[in-house]
Amino acid sequence: MSALTRRAMLGGSGALALSLATGVAEARILPKDMFPLIGPGYRAVDQDEKGLWQQMERVEEEVAGSNLLIKDARLTGYLGDLIGRVGGPAAKDMRIYLARIPEFNAVMFPTGFAVIFSGLLLRMRNEAQLAGVVAHESAHFLRKHQLRQWRDMRRKSDIFSILAMGAGVAGGAAGIYAGDLVQLAQLGTILSLLKYNRTLEAEADAMGVRLLAEAGYDPTGMSETWQQLIAELDLSAKYRRKKRERDFSLFSTHPAPESRMKDLRISAAEAKVPGRAYDSYRDRYLVALASIRPTLLDDQVKLNDPGASQYVINTLAKDGWNGLLRFHEGEIWRLRNRKGDDVRAAQGYAAAILYPDAPADAWRWHGIMLMKQGRSAEARAAFAHYLKMAPNAPDAPFVRQMMAS
Amino acid sequence: MRRLGIALIASVALAGCVQTRQYADVEFTPPQGDYKLLVMRPDVTVGSVTTGGLVEPRADWTETARTKLLAALRAQQASRGGNVLILNRRDSLPGVDADTIAELERLHYAVGSSIALHRYSGAYLPTKRNKGLDWTLGEDAVALGRRTGYDYALFLHAEDSFASTGRVALQVLGVAGCLVGFCAPNIGGAGQFAYASLVDLRTGEVVWFNVLQAGSQVAGIKMGDIRTDAGAAQMVDRLLDRMKPGREVRRRQKAAR
Repeated sequence: MSALTRRAMLGGSGALALSLATGVAEARILPKDMFPLIGPGYRAVDQDEKGLWQQMERVEEEVAGSNLLIKDARLTGYLGDLIGRVGGPAAKDMRIYLARIPEFNAVMFPTGFAVIFSGLLLRMRNEAQLAGVVAHESAHFLRKHQLRQWRDMRRKSDIFSILAMGAGVAGGAAGIYAGDLVQLAQLGTILSLLKYNRTLEAEADAMGVRLLAEAGYDPTGMSETWQQLIAELDLSAKYRRKKRERDFSLFSTHPAPESRMKDLRISAAEAKVPGRAYDSYRDRYLVALASIRPTLLDDQVKLNDPGASQYVINTLAKDGWNGLLRFHEGEIWRLRNRKGDDVRAAQGYAAAILYPDAPADAWRWHGIMLMKQGRSAEARAAFAHYLKMAPNAPDAPFVRQMMAS
Repeated sequence: MRRLGIALIASVALAGCVQTRQYADVEFTPPQGDYKLLVMRPDVTVGSVTTGGLVEPRADWTETARTKLLAALRAQQASRGGNVLILNRRDSLPGVDADTIAELERLHYAVGSSIALHRYSGAYLPTKRNKGLDWTLGEDAVALGRRTGYDYALFLHAEDSFASTGRVALQVLGVAGCLVGFCAPNIGGAGQFAYASLVDLRTGEVVWFNVLQAGSQVAGIKMGDIRTDAGAAQMVDRLLDRMKPGREVRRRQKAAR
């Protein structure tokens, strides 16, 4: 591709767009206006869409075969049921893949398959919150967002190229240099493309709320999710002595988290039908995640992002502390390993073993911490507990040796 | 006026070009005679260049081009005497599951990217200097060869794109602008890009790699069209039919003469 082509890709409709993109606050999109644009069994219709779908088939093949996927049948079945509930008319057509990536994210592809990151599962307090994210992603498919975005980009880059060439030729004829004007138009086009992206995200939020409420989930779950994300990013930044990164709103692809949270809260109130019962399905969520939660916590803690990890654990603990959460709280400080962190870690392990669900490793680390403090009799008892729980642990002979000496 | 016309023609003539650049293992001899070649599922994309310069993939063109390219490849290989199996899908190799093929394709993607970076994009490595092509897919490729009896595996990637009417109109405007002193005679945006990579399944090594680029800086002038029989044959010819032996082999051949 030549330089001009690449520039043209970002290019588009110019100074007019600049005036559109600046200043004006973006109005909330109403859930009631968000109806699906596709029906069940939808296939690509237009030529550009067919081209996009053909490429995406290859992408889905790669995703489906990726070794990052968590393939636990019960868990993927659970996620499939979830998209079946909040997927609107395309509920039966959409596919969902769970990737083991400890980040808060989910992606929908134009052909109706979504990738959910495992970090998202960890952060959700109940099924309604997770269903909210899945509903948001479904809305991208139901409202044909990727295709509309591609068409928007194509149209604006076409207009920009014609205007830029026209301005050049006209300027040449009149003896005026049009280059500065063309650069301004290019900036306007970029801003206009980003604004369209934000509009689509707002659409997906509004429609997500609607899908969620229609399926009987408490739609306030979506604004809670954003509240949690904002607080987590703040705390993560604070521990690193930084401030949370805030994009200048004109240049970001997504609406600011704060305004999303507010809009979602208002939309949720709007989408609720008086007299109908809404549930967050917390118990069902805990059962579904039980087998994978230790892995999710372990992956998060090993990112060594203490602010974020602590926030996640504290958020989950709002529904009650348990041995698993206390153990990982200890792990956060042990891994950070600054002055005084060993004491905090020891406190975490000591608290963890008071719960019946404390993992074997909690007993092991509790024993090691006691040993360091010179409390060897108590340490031996902790090690004995560890060996009883994990007699075949790879380090079992080593622990026995420690107990003997 | 006449001088401008000459200048234009010159720029047009300069702007269109076809180039290939191949690298081979120093001991590489192009396969001849009775060899068995496995062609991995070719990765083909054909699109249309929009007025603004974006490439819009076209499903129908891509399908046509894939069919034509495979036919051209079969014809070319038949003339060299090789036994060829072209994989249309990942599971079309008897006795080998799709996952094994997928793993090898991903491995090759990583190795191929490294070759592209260190042989073609200028990030040359001092450790690879004067070594021809020194990359390998390792044991996985050897294991596939042992299981299936194939001597070589060929990985193919091909892209082609064509200027849309709007893009050509924009080009006409750019050329017309030359009359008033604003000259944009080569906005470009369409062309071919392809690469081929030959792996020796007896050693696992990538023994030969070739990149083809064909394009014109003037939107609307085509340097090939893989949607046609002739165009597909032309690409196969440019990409695969001029395999040069490795440096050491060439040196010995020269000495023998």
